[in-house]
Amino acid sequence: MVTIDLAATPVRQANGLIREAGGRGEDVRVVNPDARHHIGVGLTDPITVRVKGSAGYFCAGLTDGARFEIDSNVGWGLADNMYRGTVIVGGNAGAIAGVAIRGAEVVVRGNVGSRAGQVMKAGTLCCAGDASFMAGTMMYGGRIIILGDSGERLGEDMTGGEIFIGGKVVSLGADAMETDLSADEADGVMAFLDRHRIPFKGRFAKIVNAGAKLRYGTAEPRRRSVPFFVAAGQSDYWNARIQEDIYVKSQIGRYRIRGYGAGRPMPHLNDIAFKADLSGAGSGRDPLSRVTLATEIGGKHGARPLELSMPVMIAPMSFGALSRSSKTALAIASRLSGISENTGEGGMLEDERREADQLIFQCLSGRLGWNIHDMQRADGLEIYISQGAKPGLGGQLMAKKVTKELARIRGIPEGIDLRSPSRHPDILGADDLVIKVEEFREATGYRIPISVKLGAGRVHDDIKIALKDGFDFVELDGLQGSTGASSAEVLEHVGIPTLAAIQEALDALAEIGRAGDLPIVLMGGIKDGVDTAKALALGADAVGLGSAAIIAGGCIACMQCHVGTCVVGIATQDPAHERRYDTQREARNIHRYLEAVRWQLAAIIDGLGYTDYRQLSRDDLVALTPEAAAISRLPLMPESGRVAAP
Amino acid sequence: MSDSAFDEAGKSQFVPAPCQVACPIGTDAPSYIAHIWEGKYAAAFEAITATNPFSSICGRVCDAPCEPACRRASSDGPIAIRNLKRFVMDKLGRDHHSPPVPVSRTKTVGIVGSGPAGLTAARDLAEAGYAVHVYEMTDRLGGMMVWGIPAFRLPPGIIAEDLDRMMAHCPGIEVHLNRALGRDLSLETLRERHDAVLLAIGAWWGKPMGIPGEDDSRVVDGVGFLREVNGGARPTLPETVVVVGGGDVAMDACRVAIRLPGCKRVTVVYRRGAEDIPARRDELEGARAEGIELITHTQQTAVVANGNRLALRCLRAQAGAAEADGRRQPVPVAGSEHDIACGMVIAAVGQRAGSDELESRDLMNIDRVRADFNTMATPIDGVFAAGDGAFGGSTIVMAMHHGHKAAYYVRAFLEGRPTPAPYRTPFRTRRVAVAPDPKWELFPRQHQAFHGLGEDPASFPEIESTYAGQAARDEAARCYRCDAETGSADFSVRNREDIFAMARLAGDDGARQTRMLRRRLKPRDPPFARDRAATLDDIVFLPANLSRLVIDPYREACATRTRLGPRLVLANPLLATGFDEAEAPVRDALFAGLAESGSGYVGARAPGRDVAWLRLAPNAQDAPAPEAGAVIYPLGSEFRPLAATRASPEQALGLSVARPALEAAIPFALDNGFELLLLDGSAGLGHGAAEQAGFPDLAVIRDAVAILRRLRKEGALDLIYFGGVRSGTDIAKVIALGCRAAMVGTALGLALGGTLDQAGAVTFPTDRDGAERRDAAANFITACAGETSMMARCTGKTDIHNLEPEDLRAISLATARAAGIPLAGTL
Repeated sequence: MVTIDLAATPVRQANGLIREAGGRGEDVRVVNPDARHHIGVGLTDPITVRVKGSAGYFCAGLTDGARFEIDSNVGWGLADNMYRGTVIVGGNAGAIAGVAIRGAEVVVRGNVGSRAGQVMKAGTLCCAGDASFMAGTMMYGGRIIILGDSGERLGEDMTGGEIFIGGKVVSLGADAMETDLSADEADGVMAFLDRHRIPFKGRFAKIVNAGAKLRYGTAEPRRRSVPFFVAAGQSDYWNARIQEDIYVKSQIGRYRIRGYGAGRPMPHLNDIAFKADLSGAGSGRDPLSRVTLATEIGGKHGARPLELSMPVMIAPMSFGALSRSSKTALAIASRLSGISENTGEGGMLEDERREADQLIFQCLSGRLGWNIHDMQRADGLEIYISQGAKPGLGGQLMAKKVTKELARIRGIPEGIDLRSPSRHPDILGADDLVIKVEEFREATGYRIPISVKLGAGRVHDDIKIALKDGFDFVELDGLQGSTGASSAEVLEHVGIPTLAAIQEALDALAEIGRAGDLPIVLMGGIKDGVDTAKALALGADAVGLGSAAIIAGGCIACMQCHVGTCVVGIATQDPAHERRYDTQREARNIHRYLEAVRWQLAAIIDGLGYTDYRQLSRDDLVALTPEAAAISRLPLMPESGRVAAP
Repeated sequence: MSDSAFDEAGKSQFVPAPCQVACPIGTDAPSYIAHIWEGKYAAAFEAITATNPFSSICGRVCDAPCEPACRRASSDGPIAIRNLKRFVMDKLGRDHHSPPVPVSRTKTVGIVGSGPAGLTAARDLAEAGYAVHVYEMTDRLGGMMVWGIPAFRLPPGIIAEDLDRMMAHCPGIEVHLNRALGRDLSLETLRERHDAVLLAIGAWWGKPMGIPGEDDSRVVDGVGFLREVNGGARPTLPETVVVVGGGDVAMDACRVAIRLPGCKRVTVVYRRGAEDIPARRDELEGARAEGIELITHTQQTAVVANGNRLALRCLRAQAGAAEADGRRQPVPVAGSEHDIACGMVIAAVGQRAGSDELESRDLMNIDRVRADFNTMATPIDGVFAAGDGAFGGSTIVMAMHHGHKAAYYVRAFLEGRPTPAPYRTPFRTRRVAVAPDPKWELFPRQHQAFHGLGEDPASFPEIESTYAGQAARDEAARCYRCDAETGSADFSVRNREDIFAMARLAGDDGARQTRMLRRRLKPRDPPFARDRAATLDDIVFLPANLSRLVIDPYREACATRTRLGPRLVLANPLLATGFDEAEAPVRDALFAGLAESGSGYVGARAPGRDVAWLRLAPNAQDAPAPEAGAVIYPLGSEFRPLAATRASPEQALGLSVARPALEAAIPFALDNGFELLLLDGSAGLGHGAAEQAGFPDLAVIRDAVAILRRLRKEGALDLIYFGGVRSGTDIAKVIALGCRAAMVGTALGLALGGTLDQAGAVTFPTDRDGAERRDAAANFITACAGETSMMARCTGKTDIHNLEPEDLRAISLATARAAGIPLAGTL
């Protein structure tokens, strides 16, 4: 037994000691906890940790296998994302107790705050007292036992699992209903209570999903898309695309869904150009040997940075939206080109982890596939707030893609039209986010860079918050960013263009005297080394390539990613379709594409007379259109570059 | 990837698909495939035959380099482009003719040889108005198409189809059969008769194998053998035949042999591996399916005769170093000598041209006509050459390419242009819409029926048949349409093709990397035309992110309840309009849909008790309608004071105004107790096609809000917008700009199954019943309300009426001005 006195030991050091004790198999006693945050976070050994007092936020969070006994109260986020193991709380728990648990047993002898068991996948959360509002909201599985009363909207938008409630219910949530419980279930609940010596005499009501929102009603007619930009603004106002949209909506009664990003023309990096004549760039020389492209990103708070052979990353794309084969091809290509890959939402694939040298692990609101073990073997952790394709909305994955394997990795029921929550359970504002970032750092020993993914909206405000919250870098994704499935309306109409996003971000940081203090990885419609060079010259620290990398790997941009029967085997989970994809061949293609990006970038830098990409600056650029000039504040020179050789 | 692509408007944006690029004559395959899906066979025929005078023939026997180039090849098999061509030609090839082109020029051209090169040039020159004389040494037109390809692959009637079509189209072509160069005509005669001469004499003679013993009478050359059989002979063969070679002639020869009397076994001997065989893959598979044996990696060294017995003596060959074309050189293995016994050897190891006449004029370079491939010119002025005879044995489609190219240079010569721009294969697109087939991703390659030898092989029945209708349509649906935009400005065809090319560039190939960089540096066309109108399309919402985080609601739900005036309440912010004159069934269905979805109606007609009615434009003589929730007095663009009366105290009063009348109308409305202001951004509320007259006026909202603000009366009037609203997103934008509701006219008409006629009016076909129409209206309104609330929710709102101008940004300057909101990135 090790005793740790939190009055004398900082939590960071204490967590190190707890993990060491875990390694030795020795139990831990924590005294004078005084409601400090993050106690025991990241522990993956089956020891017992006794907290002699109250714990703060995220006690026992991101753990697997341990037993925690807390004498008094706990703050919010109790047992966050806990896999196996047990937590016993003697007093009350704050909001989102048992959030995202995946098998743990969590017992609170007092009351629990709001949204207990939010997005939990498996295990049992038991509250011997009363639960506040929205217990079980968006839970995907597992069991919640409430012996006392429940507040409003119990089981709001729950997808799976069961809630057993012994007391009164103020109101049921959307898509939740009461049903009978079987004798076996009642016995199971009583056995659980007996095991934890919780006396109960009453009767339970069982609350489950009512099934109204798990699947979209009428299927959207499958169609290949009508080009939007024959539509937008230029031509006939009531064009074929608009008419088709209206027709389809009149049949299905809801918005349309598709893949890819904003389709229509809008101000973009294409509308700025290099001031110098680059028509001879790269000609007759080896630009790669003449310029420095290698960089590091993510080390500003002491973590081991990502080492990039050029300021380029593979943008986050999920296993789920994409097939295992295409995720693997991206991972191989990222390794061959010496850049980073990113899991996107929905968990880390073994193949992906093995093939990628540097892998960023993304944490989304639904905590799908999120777990401490994969966090610890990641090279970067990323909190997804939103993305350019659908900021303000959660992810979508249509039922055809929610296969058994995928459901297992994500911890959700098979075959639902998965709509991820649009908000994180434990990030309601900038201050919570600071504590969330700390939790991740605690859980991984401050080794791993932590980034934030932001769809571009109120960038001017958001970037300052991201800076304050202590991220190592930000991935900023413009309106042109793509996705595997989203509302077509949101794809086209929510968010600001990539060019406006980087400008706002840089202006905002400069405004508070913090220019250069938060590295920005710009993404959203970046196609080649030319776009990359422009983004870097504007002030981005790196770029992310998503759709372009997928296209290099065989995508034909039909925009039907959501359907699940991708013709080339990329955006599919159907084995018959995935067989169409040759992983090794496409990995080589993506690699060659990345090398062409590198070559173009190097040739431009060399052509401008520089030797390092960091020498690129706004002074090298001009705007070609009035909009681009107004957004970027670059000089308007519409004819620049138009006379270049073919 | 070609830079030479222009669309029909001469614009250079068009990037041809890989199949089109692979076709030596630039056939617009994506267009004809799409036309087949549409069932527009005549249009498909036009696309097929535009550059291909031998379309019927090619539908059966083209080498089809398009198919290996097809992107779907690496997925689940290429589109059967050739068979789709055949499908169309079998339907229309016999009877569908293009109009005749009269002779309109005085100069004439003499063409020697009537194979695909000669006749393609003849057609091009005849289409240009020249009289063309074709001299053919045999008794029929077609060259190797006739004499080289056996009837089981290409029935004689098919050849006739193409020739008949060409002759009907080109009356300026005069044919001279049985006229051989040298025997019947000299080059000088031709030069005297004609202003230009094209030598398309073909590679008529088989090359020898160059091994001992091949002068045995039982050794024949492949083209000679095929010529004899195609002339009608059906010789009896020995039991065992060996064919040497791996080209198309070898494939045809072996398949002919197996069909002839006496022959029981045919073996093809080839010096490289099966994957290197130059013949089309299908031919090899067909031959194998007919029982022909292929022996690879085997090099012939001698023909050994031993009395009645004959054998081909061979060495085994290993794959050696790769040659320029990527194929590995065969290297004989010492000591591996062996004999293959047979009764006959057919040598199909290449062809050569021959002409004593040209030899005597020093126009032969060993076995080819001396000509410059860049200009198709021979050393003699005005004499050109094309086809296999000049450039070696190739395919029909390559010969046609030569023909087009030669005609181009002949014309330049005739028209006195000594240095024309280098010939480039034309790539045209017909811009056919992508087939919206729901199963395009799922259909496997549709195979054509293969019949093999048939019951009477020696009669050469055709080996395969084309599709029945549905299979052709399914196959056509499979096309990726690499030529077509899919709806992404960023990932346009051009950008996709460049990315695709980048993914195939060798990292150390500086020259190609440089060329690609230069292409990529070229600016695109500006996204917005100079005169781009302000439009709702160019407004975007600012999403909630780190700022404005809200926890509730999690999904799409968001309050849409909409109050207009003091008492009128709708379930959503949508008001229908424009159905006063619609047929009763349509109108009734709409009203039922409005009742179901809780929307209102703006019009002169009462929509029934369950629908909120904003009564429009009552005349003085009209009876008051106390059941109307509001009365709207239309002013339009000109203000005039008017007397407004309420039929009941509950009724709201409204004015409808266009922008020019705002300054006067707003103070009037405020002073006279009006509660609603209907802002008319259309060409005139109440006119039939008010929303079809161009872009709606957004500035009417901006100005109304500004005037109310100036008067410190913001919120004193509930604003309702009319003009070009098409979706819930449009409604959300209108609300964010300052309105409480939007009127929807044309969009609802379309939702109810209406179509837009030329004049811009919505007309209703009678193909839907009332319930379908009611559901469609209700569905569309539900979808719009959902979209409106989705937009509000994305911005972090729980009620659509909390949307603010501050939630918006413009992405074009015109829209920023008209809507009075900042350009993204500038605030």
